[in-house]
Amino acid sequence: MERSPTDYRTGLWVDWCPGCGNYGILAALTQALAELGLDPAKTVIVSGIGCSGKTPHYVRVNGVHTLHGRAIPFATGVKLANPELTVIVEGGDGDLLGIGAGHFVALGRRNVDMTVIMHDNQVYGLTKGQASPTLPYGVQTKGLAKPNIQGMLNPVLLALASGYTFVARALATDVKHLKQLIKQAVKHRGAAFIDVLQPCPTYNNVYTAQFYRKTVYRLDEDPDWDPVVRDPSQEHSKKMAAMAKAHEWEPRIPVGVFYHNPLVPSFEERLQSRLGNYLEEPPARQTIVSGSDGTPVVNTESLRRMLGAKVITVRRSKRAKPVIAPMP
Amino acid sequence: MPLSDVKMLIGGPQGTGLETVSHVLIAALAYNGYGVLSGREYHSNIKGRHSYILLRVSSHEVPKSLTYPVDILAAMDPETVFTHCADVSHSGFLVYDVGGEDTRLDKIVSMESYTRQRIEKRLQREGVEPVLGKLVEYLESKGVKVVGLDYRSILSELRERHGIAPHMLSRFTSSVIVGAIAGLIGLDEESLRAGFSHRFAARKQLVEPNVYIAVKVAEHVSSKFGPRLILEESMLQHEEYMVVSGNEAVAIGKIIGGVRFQSYYPITPAQDESFFLESHEKLTDGNRQLGSVLVLQTEDEIAAIAAAMGAALAGTRAATATSGPGFDLMAEGLSWAGMNEVPIVVTYYQRGGPSTGMPTRGAQSDLFTALFSGHGEFPRVVIASGDHLEALNDAVEALNIAERYQVPVIHLLDKFLANSIATIPIPDTSSMTIDRGKLVTRVEAPLNYKRFSLDELVSPRAPLGYAVSWYTGDEHDEYGHITEDPVLRVKMHSKRMRKMELIASEIPEEHRAQLYGYTEPDLLLIGWGSVKGVVLDAARILEKKGVRVSYLHIRYMSPFASKLVGKAIGRVGVDRTVAVEHSYEAHISKLVAMNTGQRITKEIVKFTGRPIYTHELVDAVLRILDTGEKRVVLDYGA
Repeated sequence: MERSPTDYRTGLWVDWCPGCGNYGILAALTQALAELGLDPAKTVIVSGIGCSGKTPHYVRVNGVHTLHGRAIPFATGVKLANPELTVIVEGGDGDLLGIGAGHFVALGRRNVDMTVIMHDNQVYGLTKGQASPTLPYGVQTKGLAKPNIQGMLNPVLLALASGYTFVARALATDVKHLKQLIKQAVKHRGAAFIDVLQPCPTYNNVYTAQFYRKTVYRLDEDPDWDPVVRDPSQEHSKKMAAMAKAHEWEPRIPVGVFYHNPLVPSFEERLQSRLGNYLEEPPARQTIVSGSDGTPVVNTESLRRMLGAKVITVRRSKRAKPVIAPMP
Repeated sequence: MPLSDVKMLIGGPQGTGLETVSHVLIAALAYNGYGVLSGREYHSNIKGRHSYILLRVSSHEVPKSLTYPVDILAAMDPETVFTHCADVSHSGFLVYDVGGEDTRLDKIVSMESYTRQRIEKRLQREGVEPVLGKLVEYLESKGVKVVGLDYRSILSELRERHGIAPHMLSRFTSSVIVGAIAGLIGLDEESLRAGFSHRFAARKQLVEPNVYIAVKVAEHVSSKFGPRLILEESMLQHEEYMVVSGNEAVAIGKIIGGVRFQSYYPITPAQDESFFLESHEKLTDGNRQLGSVLVLQTEDEIAAIAAAMGAALAGTRAATATSGPGFDLMAEGLSWAGMNEVPIVVTYYQRGGPSTGMPTRGAQSDLFTALFSGHGEFPRVVIASGDHLEALNDAVEALNIAERYQVPVIHLLDKFLANSIATIPIPDTSSMTIDRGKLVTRVEAPLNYKRFSLDELVSPRAPLGYAVSWYTGDEHDEYGHITEDPVLRVKMHSKRMRKMELIASEIPEEHRAQLYGYTEPDLLLIGWGSVKGVVLDAARILEKKGVRVSYLHIRYMSPFASKLVGKAIGRVGVDRTVAVEHSYEAHISKLVAMNTGQRITKEIVKFTGRPIYTHELVDAVLRILDTGEKRVVLDYGA
């Protein structure tokens, strides 16, 4: 079925500030969903808290608006319970890298098949502009009483170090490019991360749309730039090249795909090899009741065999031979 | 005359084979049809600190509680004898290593200085020089029968016989202990072989050398050391037993109850449950795979509850397990579950607090944390289990209630239950059902689905994947979208909150609290969790002394069985009601007051991190009756 971006809009009034970079992200997201033709019932957007956290309410797919910093673990639970679902995380820089940094790192280690889109405006908008972990040291944006006393965390480097297998950066105002990256990220089997530079017109008067227009350049403009790992032997050199690129900030900021490694097994594939039936019968699809009367699938008899190591058969008489339940 | 009940304490350094002693003995005893209950005490330490097993075996029941003094004190090292010299009955047996007789108390480096000073003072009072040999002589003079064995020479013999490498020998100390106990209580070779085979099912080469030593020692002990403590044949009718810890009982309940996703962050004493689930992740019956449990070790407890909620939203029966400090981290998630009507089970194993407190010791001091943590108001069910069978059944029930009412359920246990091992019958699933509540997978208009429909208190729940729905931690409309409208807020918040009334009306009070014993006793004890076993045992002993004690066991902390509890206390009178709890404050009294208006002012509490033992509870009850004392603080145990 042909779908248009408007099919993926809820029609709720979007209450972001005029000129907010989030509009670009929302547009790119709905365009990507439409072009990918994703089934709204089988697509889930999970968000944290803040302006970015409201995104799911504006998109007509399943939306889970969770706790501050916790979008990734929620999304992990959803995806692992039912890997058939397409899962996208929308979070702010404070959300994903401040309060949620541990979860951000853990997702990389696991390489769960999902896409994390980070709304990176370097400030905490809904609480009036405090510095986020991506604001450079010494910078004083509008809402700050003093220059930022804490250093900047490099999200692209952190994603690379954590093990994300698709790492990209985009500019919120370049909807077409962002849409392309979102499509690539969603199609990638593994943990994908897109750092979206998102101007905040209300609190961030330093990293503005005009600033980014002047400083940003596309990685794919370089015909020799190839971030894709096609053979395990390339893993090291491609990651090092990506890290070197990720180090660039001012005066020029690269956007595009930094690293793409489709060879690392996703968490789902790892589970499949361990649990045997995982992909055919993921947790959410398993039958736990036999019949209509509520009888548990695991019954006394199967339990006795399954937990043989816990079972001890009492000997009949002291003359009898030892009867010990066999190990499974 | 053969005995129907034997109590023993086996002690030694952590990590040197106590686990093996416990496993082999329990398996060998179960093999003979006995009921066994054993508890384990240990420090927050991997190797070297003093640890011990308190074990009780009975020919006519599965013991409900542990008590002192013990009939057998078996020591792997001198520290055990010093630490527990007052724990052995004056007609009991001491098994120890004569090779350590010269050990002086002040040379035992693994002992805490405060503990040492306390023991030193005690020995001084008794006029005993703090040397192991002297202490043994003293105990013998008091009537204790001393079984001195030369561990080293016994093991050297093994070395010659089985070619065990010298550095491996100490690992066989456990079979010397097992053998000595077998000799004293009358376990034969076949039983020992059964015990060791069970323990070493995966390392069969270890069975024979161990059986060899144990049998040798058993023969030596039974021929050399006078009248023993022979156990009478078991009168129990069970043909088979399952030997499980409390952690494992819950895990088995979760497997039956359909948990297919469990997330956790490692914390004592909860982690063994998730470990057990992970080692049985493939649910197989012969060649058939019935399912699997996905066990996810998360980066912290915050992620654990969040991931479990995510899995629950996708339609999985999901749970997590933790202890106090971890539960604190889960509080914000719990609140989200309350707002979003997520069926989630949090298994909560209490341990000694505050803070990291006594991380490997038990407590019941988190009652109010379980009841009130999380911000805002939301309905929750809190169930507390009193023993291994309850723990197993409650795990199934917690899952059913979570889905039937779409609420978070906290299943409350404590370290005493978690780490104690009992022989239970194989769980009978024919009496268990799985109730998934209003779970729907067919939605007529999936793009126009009202997840939080106001038509019913419990709305039909379509998991993610079957319709388009929204969830938010903010107040929301029927679709799940944010709202701050005051009128809608009243409707939505009331819908959630009124579920508590529904739950209370559908689960009978008799199911939520049980009265054991007389309706008009001399004294009514009230408690919850693992207090159950010790109170029931104490009541039986008190009965023989002419004191009639009843026990009111609270299983549902929320919703509380207010009428039943109020009536039970009213009949006896609040002056004759005593709260029993492993805490300083006897929190249950406050919960009773909140729900019934009756203020219990008498209490028996223990907060040493060790369980309440039967003998001290009996004494405490008598003190309250005889002297009118209002509060007894118990402290027995090492």
